[in-house]
Amino acid sequence: MTTEPISLLQQTFTEFGVIMVGLIAVSACALFYFRHVRMERPPVGTFNGRDIGVLLVFISTLPFLYAVLPDWLITCLLVLTFTSSLFIGYKPVVGATRAWLGIGLLIGLNIWTSHHLMGSTAGWQLWWGELSILVGLGAIAVANLYVQGGMKLQYVAWFALALAVYDIIFATILPLTDKLVAGYLAHPLDPLLGMRFGIDNYGVGLGDLLIYALFLTATYKAYGAHAARLAFGLIVVVGGVVTAFVPFLLNFFDTELDLLVPSQAFFGPAAFLFYLWMKHRYGRERTMGEYRASTDSAALTTTPAQPAPAPEPASV
Amino acid sequence: MFETGVRQFRMAMSMVWGRRIDTRNIGRLVDDVLATLAEFGEPGADAQELLGGPLADPKAQQEFATRGLRRTARRLATASPFYARRLAAADVDLAKLDLAGLRAIPVTTKQDLVERPGDFLCTDVAAYLTTRTTGTTGRPAEIWLSRYEMELWPALGALGSVLREDLRPSDIMQVNVSSQATAAVHLTAASCRLARTGCRLLGVMAPDSALDSLAESGATLLFTYPSYLAELVTSARRRGMGPDDFKLRCVNLGGEVLSPSLDQAARQTLGVPQIEDSFSMTEVIPVTGRTCSQSHLHIDLNSGHTELIDLETGEPAAPGALGTVVITPYFPYRDCMPVFRYDTRDVARRLPDGPLSCEASGIPAISQILGKADSLLRLGPADVITPRQLIDAIEALPTSPWPARYRATAHGGRIQLTLPAAAITDYGEAAARRHFAEAGLDVDLTIVSDDQATSLRHTRSDLREATFNTQHALVGA
Repeated sequence: MTTEPISLLQQTFTEFGVIMVGLIAVSACALFYFRHVRMERPPVGTFNGRDIGVLLVFISTLPFLYAVLPDWLITCLLVLTFTSSLFIGYKPVVGATRAWLGIGLLIGLNIWTSHHLMGSTAGWQLWWGELSILVGLGAIAVANLYVQGGMKLQYVAWFALALAVYDIIFATILPLTDKLVAGYLAHPLDPLLGMRFGIDNYGVGLGDLLIYALFLTATYKAYGAHAARLAFGLIVVVGGVVTAFVPFLLNFFDTELDLLVPSQAFFGPAAFLFYLWMKHRYGRERTMGEYRASTDSAALTTTPAQPAPAPEPASV
Repeated sequence: MFETGVRQFRMAMSMVWGRRIDTRNIGRLVDDVLATLAEFGEPGADAQELLGGPLADPKAQQEFATRGLRRTARRLATASPFYARRLAAADVDLAKLDLAGLRAIPVTTKQDLVERPGDFLCTDVAAYLTTRTTGTTGRPAEIWLSRYEMELWPALGALGSVLREDLRPSDIMQVNVSSQATAAVHLTAASCRLARTGCRLLGVMAPDSALDSLAESGATLLFTYPSYLAELVTSARRRGMGPDDFKLRCVNLGGEVLSPSLDQAARQTLGVPQIEDSFSMTEVIPVTGRTCSQSHLHIDLNSGHTELIDLETGEPAAPGALGTVVITPYFPYRDCMPVFRYDTRDVARRLPDGPLSCEASGIPAISQILGKADSLLRLGPADVITPRQLIDAIEALPTSPWPARYRATAHGGRIQLTLPAAAITDYGEAAARRHFAEAGLDVDLTIVSDDQATSLRHTRSDLREATFNTQHALVGA
């Protein structure tokens, strides 16, 4: 997030508005998607604790990749990531042909605007608007891929806690994130959702949006609508209000601007404690099978797999 | 999820390249399937491909078979003394071996195995465990198995079984097969261990004891022979037991002919909704087959190549004709004492050409096994009676004479059929003849006393295993 010292309060409220629009839209749409669209999943495999480890290793090495790899290669990797996640997520919704067309249009437009429309505020706003759609759709798809793939709320909570540590390390001890966000801004497929007002850019990261969407859908799957409403409140308060107003508070003590707020440093511990409370309050999480069988599930059903003969224990 | 993908990829690569498969990797895949079922209640999309392989296309099936046969033949030419000689004598170019050229290699018979078992042992593998055929159709053959095989087969079996939900952690399987069938017993126990299924290995014990165990243990799966199932059903009916006494959800049978009458009686008496009539044989493990709802036998394509050859000419059987089933298990599924073109002498009928419409239509099929080739009755040049026809007809008698005990010979174009007296008690010879005539069997009946019943036709249920409670008093004890 890059800001200028115009009016700190005005900036704070603008940032608050951008964050709220982003997290509410992405979290709510992720939950809507979860309730109404059933993604295809591989015949075998469910998200487990070791997968969280794999994700964390990947995320931890990402800043270094950004620093080391040339821009064109980063863009290629981002194109691959966005294309695969969007295709997996939206093929069940609009069909393969429309999904390919939509993905091509969104990514192509983003790359074109990144190179041709950055000379004016309107150009920036078009770029931000289009990028926000792309990033929001990506977060919704990936959150559903994980939760519908069996990622439990327990794993989401641990993931958020681990990301809190990650955010603190990379915002303070190894302050790479700030430099990367500022350095990569305006590049194609920049993983941010945001908007430009005047000469200031306001945004929220794809990773943060993904955590909020994961937390809301996983809570709904695990414990139902009431628990999801509580989780949504936590996301709004900690992910929105606290994240937006922390720069405002910090600027009372020093006048440093251009703050990047490590959102997960606040949300991670809160989400983890909230998970522990829900576990204590509601008990064991529902499995995906139990969720599908419950009245909470409004998802369209797909044809179950038909098993075929295969080797079995020899009899005689 | 990520590591499951890596495991599946590793397994697929081993299968594609024909390398030995990491059995621990398959064991972990079984755990992954169990975790998937626990989370979702069912496997995901494309489970069919994981189970049967992506081999619905006949051309792909031929290419896969050609690669498997070449790979297996190349190994046998260097590692198996018996096949080194046989393949050299056949003078075939193993690099160019194909399905048509396969016929230049003579079939392997049970006699070969019995007479020269040491020559079949591969020189690059350490033998670990021996298993014998039960010998109900002649002198038993002894098959040596490696540690790798004893780990691979149950892992593959458990993987398929948990994916199909044939085995569940909540199940208890009761195993009433002969303890002499070492491989079957070990593999079943190991599969259950991998699938976290309870396993009761009881052997071919007194039917009443087995029934008590079924009822008291709450067994949900039963693995046995059709003849032993017949004894269980008969005992249960005698004792007035019914579906409420059992919790069975599936009975898995193999090794003998299962008649429709016995199938139906077992469903009614034991209250079991599913009866699986599968094909397997000690000499050709791990190649197995399953019977579909249209009574076709679909033999697995992934682990071996199956031919149905004419009983007279040795050429592929024509549509509608009888043939003997010849099986070649592929390397790396069989590696200690492999066989190549093993003639099982199990007779089946080739189905008419054309697409199948059953649930397993992607896998080629033949008719159900109709009996052993040596037991066919030839009444005329084109009139052959199979053991299955006789067993089906006898077990359909209103007297419920299960398992069917009979002796049949052909004489003057008619069937000379010998039955024990109990088979027609309160029914009569005349009615029995009419019954057989309605089944298309022209028989001359001979009735013998019931104490000769067992000697008329041996079944696997005769491999009775005693306990101190059931055996005769020991002399001097």
